[in-house]
Parts: sequence; C-alpha cells; structure tokens
Amino acid sequence: MSHVAKIELEILSLEDLKLACKRLGFTFSENQKTYAWYGRWIGDSPLPEGILQDDLGKCDHAIRVPGCNYEIGVVKRGSKYILLWDSWHRGGLEEKIGKGAGLLKQGYTIERIRREAKRKNCQVRHEIKNDRSIRLVLRV
Amino acid sequence: MKEIVIDVSVDGEISIETRGFTGNACLKESQFLKDLLGKEQAKQLTPAYYQGKQKTKKYLQLCG
Repeated sequence: MSHVAKIELEILSLEDLKLACKRLGFTFSENQKTYAWYGRWIGDSPLPEGILQDDLGKCDHAIRVPGCNYEIGVVKRGSKYILLWDSWHRGGLEEKIGKGAGLLKQGYTIERIRREAKRKNCQVRHEIKNDRSIRLVLRV
Repeated sequence: MKEIVIDVSVDGEISIETRGFTGNACLKESQFLKDLLGKEQAKQLTPAYYQGKQKTKKYLQLCG
C-alpha cells in the first residue's frame, strides 16, 4: 500500500449518469426542464453551492424514480452537474436514492470507473460488501 | 502486483487506496481516477510511499 485518498465526487459526465440510472432502474429524461418537488422552499436544508431559491424546480434534465412522486433535477453549472431534489418523505426519493442521493452517486461512480477502465484496458474486479458498499479493484 | 482499490459507500463516499507501488508512482498512477471523479479531500501516505526515497549510506573500512 502506498497511499489512501478520500475523494469528493463531482458529476462531470452525463453519459455515466445515464448509465447509472439504467443500472438502478431509473428513467433519465433528457431536456426535461422542470422536476417535480414540493414547489416551495421552506428553508429546512441548505441550498447547494451555486443554486439560488429561484433555481429550484428548474433543470436541464430530470430523473424519474419508480414509486416516487418527486423527481431529481439535473442542473449544469460550468463543467459540472448538480442534482437537485426534495428529500421530503412524501416525495419518496430519500427512501429510494439514500441520504444525499448516495445510491445514485455510488452508481455513477461505478459506471464512470468501469467505462474508463475499459478504455484503458485495465482489468476490474467488482465486490459487494455486507454494508452494500461496492469495491472495485483495478489491476494497473 | 499493482492495484488501485476504490471503495464507494451507499452514501456515495469514495476512497482510493493504491497497493503494490513504491515511491510516488502511486500518486501518478492514480491521478486519472481523481481527475475522473472529482476533488481530492484528504490523502494519507503510507510507509511504502517513502521507499526508494531514502539514501543508504555504506561505510567502507579503508585500513586496518
């Protein structure tokens, strides 16, 4: 072992986000300009960086999750994509995508790495741990 | 064997561990993953990182 690093995820590839949606059984709706949410910001959670109150409900693309009343908005900011979604329990999203959209981020990360590994001709081993975390081992 | 191990939790947290590298090759070889995924928040170097950086001094007996 030579070093260990913690990475803060940035969503940079729409293609890999689409693949993650497919893997999770979600529907990626390209060019959908609004997403379903409560409709009014009540200030119970901080707004993501670069997002104003007036931006809520608007998006560049949207993600529909089966069994949920609310949707996830995908907003392009510079070279990055931000996920906007309402975690209120009646919308049903948090139960399906996890706190902080963790499951969707996990799916995106896996697709991103697998596609790059394939491009670089690296072997990848995939393991699912008891805590549902996923380990990818790349042979360099 | 050189490997890069990536753990992704259900909360979307990512950690990258390099194995089998010596010296700073691990940083170079794993940089593409960091660029691919986002920003590096923290990094911990392990003893193997310093291998190859230490100079070995040898003392030769010149007389006696």
